[in-house]
Amino acid sequence: MTSAALLACATLVMGSLLYVFWPDRNVEAQNAKTRLEYLRERQEALYDNLRDLNFEYNSGKYPEEDYAAQRATLENEAAEVLAEIDLLEAGILGNHSAAAQHS
Amino acid sequence: MPAFGSFALVVALALSAWNLLAGGVALRQLATGSRGAFAPERLAETARRAGMASFFAITCAAFALVWAAFTNDFRLIYIAEHSNRALPWAYKFAALWSGQEGSLLLWAWLLAGYGLVLRMRHKVDVKLTAYASTILAGIQVFFLLLVNVAATPFSLVPGGVIPADGNGLNPLLQYPEMVIHPPMLYLGYVGFSVPFAFALGALMMRYPGEKWIHITRRWTMVTWLFLTVGIFLGMHWAYNVLGWGGYWGWDPVENASLMPWLTGTAFLHSVMMQEKRGMMKSWNVWLIFSTFMLSILGTLLTRSGLVSSVHAFAQSSIGTWFWVFLVIVFAVCLFTYILNRDHLKTEHKLESLVSRESSFAFNNLVLLLACFTILWGTLFPILSEFVQGNKVTVSAPFYNRVAVPVGVFLLFLTGIGPLLAWRSTSMRSVRKNFIVPGIVALVIAIAVIPLGVHPWTIFTTDHEGAFYAWVTFALAAFVATAIFAEFFRGARVIQRHSGQNLLRSVVQLTRRNTRRYGGYIVHFGVVLIFIGISGQAFNRSVEATMNYKQSMNIGPYRIECMDYSQDTNANYDSTYAILNVFRGGHRVTQLDPAIRFYQASQQPETMVANHSTPLWDLYVVYAGTDTTTGQPIIKAFLNPLVMWIWIGLIVTIFGTGVALLPNLSAALAAQRSRVAVTAEHEPVAAGRTGD
Repeated sequence: MTSAALLACATLVMGSLLYVFWPDRNVEAQNAKTRLEYLRERQEALYDNLRDLNFEYNSGKYPEEDYAAQRATLENEAAEVLAEIDLLEAGILGNHSAAAQHS
Repeated sequence: MPAFGSFALVVALALSAWNLLAGGVALRQLATGSRGAFAPERLAETARRAGMASFFAITCAAFALVWAAFTNDFRLIYIAEHSNRALPWAYKFAALWSGQEGSLLLWAWLLAGYGLVLRMRHKVDVKLTAYASTILAGIQVFFLLLVNVAATPFSLVPGGVIPADGNGLNPLLQYPEMVIHPPMLYLGYVGFSVPFAFALGALMMRYPGEKWIHITRRWTMVTWLFLTVGIFLGMHWAYNVLGWGGYWGWDPVENASLMPWLTGTAFLHSVMMQEKRGMMKSWNVWLIFSTFMLSILGTLLTRSGLVSSVHAFAQSSIGTWFWVFLVIVFAVCLFTYILNRDHLKTEHKLESLVSRESSFAFNNLVLLLACFTILWGTLFPILSEFVQGNKVTVSAPFYNRVAVPVGVFLLFLTGIGPLLAWRSTSMRSVRKNFIVPGIVALVIAIAVIPLGVHPWTIFTTDHEGAFYAWVTFALAAFVATAIFAEFFRGARVIQRHSGQNLLRSVVQLTRRNTRRYGGYIVHFGVVLIFIGISGQAFNRSVEATMNYKQSMNIGPYRIECMDYSQDTNANYDSTYAILNVFRGGHRVTQLDPAIRFYQASQQPETMVANHSTPLWDLYVVYAGTDTTTGQPIIKAFLNPLVMWIWIGLIVTIFGTGVALLPNLSAALAAQRSRVAVTAEHEPVAAGRTGD
């Protein structure tokens, strides 16, 4: 092995070790996803579905009765999701205010 | 350089192994709440960085190999076997993937590249990305073990006897598309590792919701696009190099690339049901698992020489490694699935057979039926050899019997899917949306009959091609009309609200929902591809020995031999004919079909001459030389509609590009949020300046 190749190998090893093990103070926390975050995603997906349905109805793709039935189903699903979001948010707020009173 | 390249591969393996081990330990500690000498988050960060550093180490190795090819370093067995001094520089670069060792290095490098992007974008979901990164590291370790132990590209020639020149690149690979076709195909194969890693990681951690699909959507589409382009470049190469007049021969290696494409396409469709309605979760997980395993199988078939193929450019004993890896992957997937299958409970049931969901379900079943048929046919020679002791090869008619009706049915589903509503569609809605496409399909079905498309030949001859072509033309008209109707209806709504002209409204409509309308453009590309393929039913060919000024006729063309001669350069000798092509008495073009004989490898290669028009290709091959007269034997094919296959591919690429763009509303929202953030920060900044 030539000295240039040796130098290249040493640089590669040192560079890799320094990069991998150099202390970093801003390590990202691996938080688990909460139920609330999941519900907000679900809410967004349902709103997307409703927007699509409205647009397709306005474009004349579906008859009135199909549209009404589908809209009602989606709105019911969205209502259930929103109710659970409200419940969880109220619980979180309750916990925060209880913690504030204790302090 | 060889020593540096070899050493870089060892470093890459060590880094990937650390990524796998430290990442695995950190995830375990986080899941169980236990702690070791390092904080688990810190350990996970070193794992992530090791994964990123492995990319640079493998890049060094790849650079060392390319450098060896460019500097004619025949100390390396790999370079001596796959390159030579007279090889043009572009093909020297292609030598990186023309042999088994190099192509496995390319696999590892591309995987590390995908991993680099994934790990850099870890903030999108730190925990999920940590799982995906660790799974990718497991795959990376396998490929790096291969190139470090079983198929090392930096092996030196035994005894130190360096050859004066190399064997050269396989002549079949000395074609411009070969410089981009294998990397495209590999970008497709390797890319499916990313959605696979996310799906497996999401299942391992019982990830709530479908955000992992949202995260991997672009990865999957880009990967699918690469695989699509890779497959079509391979078809184009086969058409222009192999000289048999066709582009798809159901060769095992072609099949190997088609199988993950079929399951990947099924996944792209069925995943929408999971996003929209929380359905088919187990199905989707197994689709992406299967797609990844089929990608590995594809690499195995291409690289091990397990099956005979014109595309299998390597022979080796690495098959055992791949089979073991496939078994491990399957076992991990199955174990994870059994452990967490309750997490994949469907949120809704199929409500009606006439719905968007059912069209996706049928689409999936049909794609899987095609995939299973192709898998069976591809592996049949291996199975028959195992059972009977002799290889029984499955030929094109077996595949065509299934693939042609399946393809036609898929085209039908492509048309009806977008016209159906989610959940259920009333008969009134069906009538409303189907009537115009149905009428157009009927008109086209009648109109093509006087043009020579006679479906009744299926009853009078063994030839089914004309019947399927007739059905395809009618369905293509149906699907194209349905797609245009979707654009037209949507654009009219925009036009009513904005007052813009129809064209601007179409652009705005597409930008509002790029995924849907980009998807429709892709479907239109598929329609064009089907039209191009159906032309195959009407292919014609003639063959003749031609002297000076002799001519032969095919279709509307007259081909006249002007000259035939020989030429030589440092890389190859060539024998060619100069042919003038006339149509209606007017000279249309000159074609120069040739046969090249490569000096380094002592192998011949056909150079096809092709005059392509939207209606047909005049495809001419120098089939050989008459041994008694020395005159060229010319074979001419008239292949209708082939150009539409390549145009369809361009439309498909464009459509996928559109589908990858962010929606206009999302882009505007992001812009608004940037403006809001700037406005929020300005007074603070001003205050600080004031201080």
